[in-house]
Amino acid sequence: MTDSDTSYRLSRRKFLAAGGAVALAAACGPAAAPSASPSAAATASAAATTALKPLKIGQLLPFTKVYAELGNSMKRSTDLYLKQKGNKLAGRTVAPPIYEDEANDPVVGAQKTQKFIEQDQVDVMMGIVATPIAYAVRNAIDSAKMIFIETNAGGNSLTRDVPNCTPACKSKYIFRSSFSSWQISAPIGEYFATKRGVKEAFTFVADYGFGTESAADFTNSFTKAGGKVTGSLKAPLGSADFLPFVTQLKNQPTKDIYSFFSGTDAINYIKAWNQLGMPAAGYKMNGAGFLTEQDVLKEVKELANGAVTSLFWAVTLDNAENKAFVDAYQKEYNLLPDVFAVQAWDGMNALDLALQAVKGDTSNKDAFIAALENVKFNSPRGAFEFDKVTHNPIQDMYIRQVAVQNGAAVNTIVDKIARVTDPGKPTT
Amino acid sequence: MSPEVAVQQALNGISFGALLFILAAGLSLIFGMMDVVNLAHGAFYMLGAYIALTVVQRTGQFWLGLVLAPLLVGALGLAIEPLLLRRLRGRHLDQVLLTIGISLVIGDLIGLIAGREIRSLPFPAGLDHSVPIMGGDYPVYRLFVIAFGLALAALFAFVHRRSRIGALIRAGVDDAPMLAALGVDIDRLFATTFGVGAALAAVAGVIAAPVFGVFPGMDVDALIYSLIVVVVGGLGTLSGAIAGGALVGPADTFGKVLFPQFALALIFAIVAFVLLLRPTGLLGRVRIVR
Amino acid sequence: MSRVALVALAIAGAAALITFPLWSSGWESSRYATTILRDMLVLGILALSLDLLVGSAGLPSLGHAAFFGTGAYGAAIVAQRVGNDDLLLGLAAAIGASALLALVIGLFAVRAAGIFFLMLTLAFAQMVFALAFQAVDLSGGSNGLAGVHRPQLLGLDFNGPEALFELVASLFVIVVLVLWRVRSSTYGRALIGLRENERRMRALGYDTTRLKLSAFVLAGALAGIGGALSGWSLRYVSTNDVGIERSIEAFVSVLIGGTGTLLGPAIGAVVVLYVERVLPSSIPFAETVLGVLFIVFVALARQGIVGLGRAAYRRARA
Repeated sequence: MTDSDTSYRLSRRKFLAAGGAVALAAACGPAAAPSASPSAAATASAAATTALKPLKIGQLLPFTKVYAELGNSMKRSTDLYLKQKGNKLAGRTVAPPIYEDEANDPVVGAQKTQKFIEQDQVDVMMGIVATPIAYAVRNAIDSAKMIFIETNAGGNSLTRDVPNCTPACKSKYIFRSSFSSWQISAPIGEYFATKRGVKEAFTFVADYGFGTESAADFTNSFTKAGGKVTGSLKAPLGSADFLPFVTQLKNQPTKDIYSFFSGTDAINYIKAWNQLGMPAAGYKMNGAGFLTEQDVLKEVKELANGAVTSLFWAVTLDNAENKAFVDAYQKEYNLLPDVFAVQAWDGMNALDLALQAVKGDTSNKDAFIAALENVKFNSPRGAFEFDKVTHNPIQDMYIRQVAVQNGAAVNTIVDKIARVTDPGKPTT
Repeated sequence: MSPEVAVQQALNGISFGALLFILAAGLSLIFGMMDVVNLAHGAFYMLGAYIALTVVQRTGQFWLGLVLAPLLVGALGLAIEPLLLRRLRGRHLDQVLLTIGISLVIGDLIGLIAGREIRSLPFPAGLDHSVPIMGGDYPVYRLFVIAFGLALAALFAFVHRRSRIGALIRAGVDDAPMLAALGVDIDRLFATTFGVGAALAAVAGVIAAPVFGVFPGMDVDALIYSLIVVVVGGLGTLSGAIAGGALVGPADTFGKVLFPQFALALIFAIVAFVLLLRPTGLLGRVRIVR
Repeated sequence: MSRVALVALAIAGAAALITFPLWSSGWESSRYATTILRDMLVLGILALSLDLLVGSAGLPSLGHAAFFGTGAYGAAIVAQRVGNDDLLLGLAAAIGASALLALVIGLFAVRAAGIFFLMLTLAFAQMVFALAFQAVDLSGGSNGLAGVHRPQLLGLDFNGPEALFELVASLFVIVVLVLWRVRSSTYGRALIGLRENERRMRALGYDTTRLKLSAFVLAGALAGIGGALSGWSLRYVSTNDVGIERSIEAFVSVLIGGTGTLLGPAIGAVVVLYVERVLPSSIPFAETVLGVLFIVFVALARQGIVGLGRAAYRRARA
């Protein structure tokens, strides 16, 4: 069911258009017709005769509503990358990226995607934080053959073979520079059962797509490796009060709790966990990495100490790229970067290298796709490459533990699961 | 659920209920006195929380924030009433609609000025530890919230008993010219009521911030909770908010844990259930709303 | 203007609207313009249906998106389960689901009036939102319902953006026609009587509760049509479609455009979507602009854009 929309209907039938429709059209015409990006106007006329036109990147990120912080972080990272490269990638000038707000609403995301495709006519689209939005626009992107480097949304289906392509499925045009929720949830399950000798675990997650996927993937791999999940609890997304849930957790015997929460939920959960004296009672907080990412740690500080999570990056990761990245980010913004910034950074890096491989010429989409598939580089997270089949990253998963270093709460690396790649098809 | 756990959850429910009452108090006041559903209530709540956040960031003083936030937000409310609401006096629905616009503006401005990061307010020193209760640790801050809620409820009861003020305002709603003819400055009365309601919302924002967090969209969440409490407890009476909090808090707490599948819908199902039995809420009186 | 001229104008306007993709195809980024206009028409249908409650019957509902989203889910789920993309089946499913929901909620809600009604509708809408979020097997939960097929009718499919737009615009025109007939009928007049003075209507022998309930169900059904169109446009239904933001969007559209008028709510939808979706590309404070606009209209121009237009017209003629 693809759009049969490759041809405009060129025949113009004249109509005696009356006031109403003309007024309506007048309202929409000026809104739709002008080229919104200053770069297009400025550089179109100045286009050199032989050089390629400036590269147009469309970035769909949240700048309002609950995930706004992530969007801002990723914009900072993207802007820094381009600044470092002098706004040129592979010798080709890059126009300032067109940032649009996804506003945590698939309708808005779909409309902005259409804008990128039809009005701005970007060469590459990047971004999307919320999985529902990624799922909603997947088909439009695929039909339009728009190269899309997805830089956050971790819904498993986006890079898998899924029957009926519901809620989504992979596309040759879609690459992901972040992660799949399976990658951050399943390996740690097996790791706990085999390397840590954890026999029983209890899951407590946010009751929405990401949380339930994470719990299912963890349970699956933990059980397969010989562990037993003794029970589960779910909290509505955006729960105001975590005390009732933690009270339940405290009144069951299994000490290892596996959780998925992010943002405000994670902060409130960690605070409630401490208030009810869980650490002293021997309970251990484990989870997928976003539970203790920088956005959470900067608020809860030492309250999360000891929490063990799995993620493909930590701010303390000791490699040359990460040191350089963290230093540059801090110098530019006076802030510590978070994993979202890394994802955006790596997205740009992948774009950069692929452009170099095609000598800046994005007109041959298949060649560009092949170039993207072949990128390999050292990222702040370690060695980065795309899985050629799924277009999801092949990356190391780090087992991290929260500790306070130099006055700031950070994740320290305690172990590593090497070269994790998403299975590419549903596992549960 | 063992009796020990039941008691712990009951305590959780009561403290959540107290938070809900504190949250809804301002909304209940303004509606009870002015017949206006202040849909900017969540925005005032959010503003209070962000002011407290700023104060704590600069001075580390939670209590200073608790004093400053309602003063500033109350002043804002005091200014909004004569500026915007007064011209719509008598047109209750339009006043409600106006507050929607106010909430959009305040919500967006907060985001533009204070940023859209997810923040949290730390518990104030002295209230950030837990005490052993019933075999488990219980956070002192929640006990403080219960105490604060009781104090606020007592204050409401006191004002209600001082029926002259209450009667004055009610009379103003019913027949403003008459009241003015009797020499009462109703303009000042209404402006003050709205200001106090806004201030109460801000107080709730400060008190709830260490528990609920400070983040974009918190105004909508708070508004919905407040409306639930006021509708369930009964519109038109101040004690409605108390009844609403007392019912919704424990019901939501136990419901979430016993019926996790319906946790999100549960709180609204409580609304529907109560309204089925008592259409004007638990303590509501039938009111003529024009 | 004479009756005949008015009718001719209306027909020409409707025709021009429906054929918009054709005569605008020469514009730069005309396809994007079509997309935006399409979204405006969909929100317009929701706003128009809401105004049946707000403008005619005087029932301020802040939970109207519940019916919009339910229509969207209804059309999509039935088509998927039955395996049939027929347009009429989809519309029937959408209208059936939303009307049924409106009946159930309406039975509770119409016992209240004014502010009470406002809060009740809000609470029920949030319940629908929660259910849509939880019923993952049915609605896709937070991940949304994907794989929604665009409908087809007698072999003609609406997959292409132009054809889909023509479908949306046609249904928009039909909804306007329905509302026009309702408003000028005795039923419609009774609704307005309800808004002006319910007690008098009861004294005149009207069963006001039944009147309110029927308006509620009709408004819900029309909103459901909008929802189905939304699902088909995006090929996706999300929980946002039953969410409070969508309800507020519709409400703001009604107010700004002009409540109690035929086209006011649709005009309001155009303005609201312009401010919410097009303006943010240029300025970061679009929501503030919307809020201020809303305040200005409520406080100073309560009759909305249509009201302002009428006043200007009258002044011009005087």
